[in-house]
Amino acid sequence: MRLLKLLLIPIAIAMGTTAQSQELYVFSEPASNMPAKSIGIRLTNEGVFNPKFATRTIPEMMIGFNKNLMIHVQGFFSDMDGNYKAEGASLYGKYRFLSVDDVKRHFRAAAFARISSSSRPTYTEDINLEGDNSGLQGGLIFTQLLHKLALSATLSYSKAFERDSKRLTGMPKPDQMLGYSLSSGYLVLPFVYKNYNQPNLNLYFEVLGKTNPENGRSYLDLAPAVQVVLNSRTRIDLGYRFEVAGNMANRYTKNMYLARVEFNFFSVLK
Amino acid sequence: MNTIKNLIILSIVLFAGNVSAQQISSAELQVTGLTCSMCSQATEKSLKTLDFIGAITPDLNKNLFAITFKKDKAVNIDQIRKKVEDAGFSIGNLTAVFNFNNTKVDDQGLAVAGTNVYQFLNAKSQTLNGAVKASVVDKNFISGSSFKKKAAQVKSASYADGSGLVNGKKTRIYHLSI
Repeated sequence: MRLLKLLLIPIAIAMGTTAQSQELYVFSEPASNMPAKSIGIRLTNEGVFNPKFATRTIPEMMIGFNKNLMIHVQGFFSDMDGNYKAEGASLYGKYRFLSVDDVKRHFRAAAFARISSSSRPTYTEDINLEGDNSGLQGGLIFTQLLHKLALSATLSYSKAFERDSKRLTGMPKPDQMLGYSLSSGYLVLPFVYKNYNQPNLNLYFEVLGKTNPENGRSYLDLAPAVQVVLNSRTRIDLGYRFEVAGNMANRYTKNMYLARVEFNFFSVLK
Repeated sequence: MNTIKNLIILSIVLFAGNVSAQQISSAELQVTGLTCSMCSQATEKSLKTLDFIGAITPDLNKNLFAITFKKDKAVNIDQIRKKVEDAGFSIGNLTAVFNFNNTKVDDQGLAVAGTNVYQFLNAKSQTLNGAVKASVVDKNFISGSSFKKKAAQVKSASYADGSGLVNGKKTRIYHLSI
């Protein structure tokens, strides 16, 4: 019941607002792709404060091959196990298979897949393929843009492929995980556009959850974020996710901040 | 029936004679599926990769792009659609200024001007001269729902897939509404 209530919050907020937003989500991906023949470069820094302060840096390159297919390539560097070092990489592909456009609105659906590696030891049943685990992930995304408001839902399934030798003694072995999220975003500024150089301010509110299908252990996070887009091509994100419900021990990304800068180079590929 | 049509078109082609290279001088483009200026910028940059595009003036609030075309280059209407779709969006409306030079529209509304073949939905049996503002109403140049509605009304056999036989050759036919 509580879970349902939490999932309904972003929708309620969305309906109560007179249309303000965007879909460049901070903690999830929209069903929309980046433009064809374009490149995006991201640098993300995220960190947790417990049990000790530790951060991860994720350089990322995004390529839009055509209007429907794009990939992300990520590298993971962290000091979560002592010294700061390279720990792994991930390849993410997204294919948009449905697109219904109208003036200032659209509905899109996309399928995605991810393959990841990480050298980190495992100590929880949680799976995070963005830095903590090796494995595969597949899922679906549905995104609705309604003028300045954008809503998005993501469903995913993750399967970890971890060697027993990486597991810390006595700790559970990660196997599989269901992921689900609801995201909402609002374009707050500018109220009226004058040119491409005006900064855009977007506010985000996301609900992020995971469940282990074998035992039902779950967690649910709320993740507010603020975003500034400069010159219609450079994006700066600042967000924080905190757990509001959950019973998964030693889970990843708990009470984590995220800071990101992204540069877009449109129509640069032949 | 086709033979007659072809003969008519052939005669139109012969009669049409000299047409200047620049047939389409400007256009107003309504792009759908976007709100933010980053999306508009991506669309504009995508359009600018076309060599026949001269200048683009965006209206970021209405997602309209006023485009002027280069005088010495032939305008490819389908390429405009492709570039908008490459950016991730769609065309909601494309109204262009076509410059006709003694272009004959036959009794079926079909006309050949330069290398382009046009099917007029609301003009027939007339000669067009000078600048004419017309909207392209083909599939993916208007919203999906508008296209479905129009497809039910329009009798032209070429409307569904935007092509038909011209001089015995399968040819792209743009459907225009004046």
